[in-house]
Amino acid sequence: MILLGELSLWVSLLMAIWMMTVSYAGGATRRGELVVSGERAAYATLFFILMASAGLWTALFTHDFSLKFVASYTSANLPKVYLFSAFWAGQSGSLLFWALILASFSAIAVVANRAKNRELMPWVTGTLGVVLVFFIFTILFAANPYDRMEWVPPDGRGMNPQLQNPGMAIHPPMLYLGWVGTTIPFAFAIGALVTRRLDTEWLAAIRRWSLISWFFLTIGLLLGMWWAYVELGWGGYWAWDPVENAPLTSWLCQTAFLHSIMIQEKRGMLRKWNVTLVIGAFLLSILGTFLTRSGVIESVHSFAQSAIGNYFSTFLILIFVVTTILVMTRLKDMEAKAELESMVSREAAFLYNNLVLVGIAFSVLWGTLFPIISEAVRGTKITVGPPFFNSVNVPLGLGLLALTGIGPLIAWRRASIENVRRQFIFPVAAGLGTGGVLMALGMRAFYPLIAFILVGFVVGTITQEFFKGTRARMRMYAENVIVASLRLVGNNRRRYGGYIVHLGVAMIFAAFAGFAFKKEFDISLKTGEVFKATDPFGHAWTFTSQGVSEFKRLNRYVTAVAFSVTRDGKPMPVLSSEKRQHVDSNDQPTFEPSTEVGLYETTMQDVYMVFSGMIGPDQAEVRLSFNPLVWWVWYGGMVMAIGGMIVMWPQAEKKRQGGYVTVLRPGSEAQVPVGAGVS
Amino acid sequence: MSPHATRRDFLRASGALVAGAMFVPAIRAQSAAQAQGAANVQMPQTAYKPVSLPKKVGAKPLVAQLERDELERGLKCACPCKLDVFTCRTTDFQCGISPAMHSDVVRLVEGGYSADEIVAAFSTVYGERVLMAPVKEGFNLAGYVVPFITLGIGATMLVAMLRRWRRESDAATPAVASASVLPIDGGMPAATDDELRRLEEAVHGTSRR
Repeated sequence: MILLGELSLWVSLLMAIWMMTVSYAGGATRRGELVVSGERAAYATLFFILMASAGLWTALFTHDFSLKFVASYTSANLPKVYLFSAFWAGQSGSLLFWALILASFSAIAVVANRAKNRELMPWVTGTLGVVLVFFIFTILFAANPYDRMEWVPPDGRGMNPQLQNPGMAIHPPMLYLGWVGTTIPFAFAIGALVTRRLDTEWLAAIRRWSLISWFFLTIGLLLGMWWAYVELGWGGYWAWDPVENAPLTSWLCQTAFLHSIMIQEKRGMLRKWNVTLVIGAFLLSILGTFLTRSGVIESVHSFAQSAIGNYFSTFLILIFVVTTILVMTRLKDMEAKAELESMVSREAAFLYNNLVLVGIAFSVLWGTLFPIISEAVRGTKITVGPPFFNSVNVPLGLGLLALTGIGPLIAWRRASIENVRRQFIFPVAAGLGTGGVLMALGMRAFYPLIAFILVGFVVGTITQEFFKGTRARMRMYAENVIVASLRLVGNNRRRYGGYIVHLGVAMIFAAFAGFAFKKEFDISLKTGEVFKATDPFGHAWTFTSQGVSEFKRLNRYVTAVAFSVTRDGKPMPVLSSEKRQHVDSNDQPTFEPSTEVGLYETTMQDVYMVFSGMIGPDQAEVRLSFNPLVWWVWYGGMVMAIGGMIVMWPQAEKKRQGGYVTVLRPGSEAQVPVGAGVS
Repeated sequence: MSPHATRRDFLRASGALVAGAMFVPAIRAQSAAQAQGAANVQMPQTAYKPVSLPKKVGAKPLVAQLERDELERGLKCACPCKLDVFTCRTTDFQCGISPAMHSDVVRLVEGGYSADEIVAAFSTVYGERVLMAPVKEGFNLAGYVVPFITLGIGATMLVAMLRRWRRESDAATPAVASASVLPIDGGMPAATDDELRRLEEAVHGTSRR
């Protein structure tokens, strides 16, 4: 099976080349049989990449240490679940995993478009073929998971302990699904540019794909934050690391697109901008992979680096040049009569929102690349860490949060002063009320206070929208409150699903603001000694050391410290933190010791404990921290995911397609699809 | 190249190609240097450089513990972890560098030095790279202001574009007919559109018309 897998990888390259060449030839010559052949090649590519993947998984599960990849990332005593996830633990495997997802998405896109978008499909399939060829070529010639060892070791090096975490088993697939998902909209954009069919047809084809990609990127980012929080022991969940920044820029670009797509659907405007965003999201996903995998920028999370940078930079420049030429030569085809009745309208608000989203994406990318730029210009190495990113992005983030609340309150086309006044009263009162209460409680920190005021404003906006909508349904249809609210969401999934996403965003911003009040203590306790502390909410805590214990478990030696805890005199769950030394099957240490944090979570704050080290036989050094509102990050993320699922729900799509009517505006050449979404 | 491409299009594309070609060698040089660094994950403990200054006469600590912790958050550990000194010394158990850098900070605090003086001392010994954020001076200012300048330019262009659209819209024939068929929400059949339009009127007190 392993040999078959290796051979399949080579055959998949041939299939992808065929898919690319024949599809483009079919598109250029308009010969149907070539187009069909290209599409079949997409299925064949998927089949052979599946075989190649199955071969690698077989090697992982059978501990075939003759493969460098297996010997480098697994050991005989690695738990089975991590043998499965070892597939993406290293460079070459993760590239193969990327190719597997891309081939699967390509096949799905081809199947889904068998009877539609036939003008575009040869170019779509061909472009997907190009990306597949690039990835398979890179795997085969720069990072082949089937590379052999010169001699077969008795055991492997094992998996980095920090990757032996359930979150890390799920996080990369989610992130890859999101990143790879940008390829399908990109391929459709290329198809639309080549065929000059730049109306709303191609947008309808990619809307679902964009949402899917955004959805998985959201989950991937959140899982990465959760993993960093519980596994790395920093005491935080976001460090502005290049590996975090790369998917974030892509996510921001996609979020901007998901807003601006509505303007094109409803008003026929922003054609150039939407094409640019789709291409930008794809380029950023490739750039992100390049930045994090090439080692060009130091990253805390870069578990695998090699010389694939040249492949990626070449591909990136090639795609950039080709897409730039395509866009430049199609500018006239993307001209559309733009009409704007008022600067104070939902359309304008969406554009301001796009500006801020893209502005944040740019500032994150700029900060990530600034060390390279600085060294190129001045020859001096500098570090660009959290203080830099926070100083630049916090004001921009607050601007975005404000727009999240403002946008839904402004009517489409033109908002009257009376309309604005009526719409804003409650949300503004909610925001100011929140601020007033917090100030009365003694909060004075500027940015957190502004953030909480804006969170209050956004929640006020969303509450008002749901309240008014539900009340209107109750009046019109005599429905009870539950039925009315469910039908309100069910019948307007895109709009109210979007509001639920906004609610999740507000929850996450509240968590970010709350984290500013984190309190940390470095303590050193012998068995029986007590440490007393007051948390940010004024509760009195005691931590009594129960001593240090040492034991062996599965593939590691563990040193653990446990504290019995009380809050305001009441007993709380015991907190324990571990220091783990992983060993191979010969009991030899593999990696550096890792941390398991002790965590007590509540909705208001986490008590977070990191075992730092030992002084003498029973004195433990520990960092204790009270991390306010962390819970709201995870649950805000879940709310975002639920909102995303409501927006993506298939029935809504079916209805939307069924409801499309194309009308021509008087005095406008733009075809406006009626039934296109408005949120 | 499309038959519709103009000479201007060609020049634009060529410019992009040249810019890309100029950027690649810099990236490659960086990549090679970093790849070598990455291969040697265990940075030698010699990466630590003592930072010491003579104790001031009658020295009293000017930096409280919380301020000292904050100061350490602004100093990058010299080990390959990329973390700040404060975080690294409780995260990376093998790192001997962050505890040593922490000790230097403690000694300088006890020696009566202010936070700014301590940061300056570390910069002198390790170079600018020891700072978690570049100093706001010289070329580094570009790092801080370019995002805002770009955003400002974007905002100006956006406002200009919106104004132009509004002027064009005012000049154009009022699109009464088209407005009347626009739905208030996405993808609903006509009956639902009508229902939602009425709902929207109830919610916002305004028609989409």
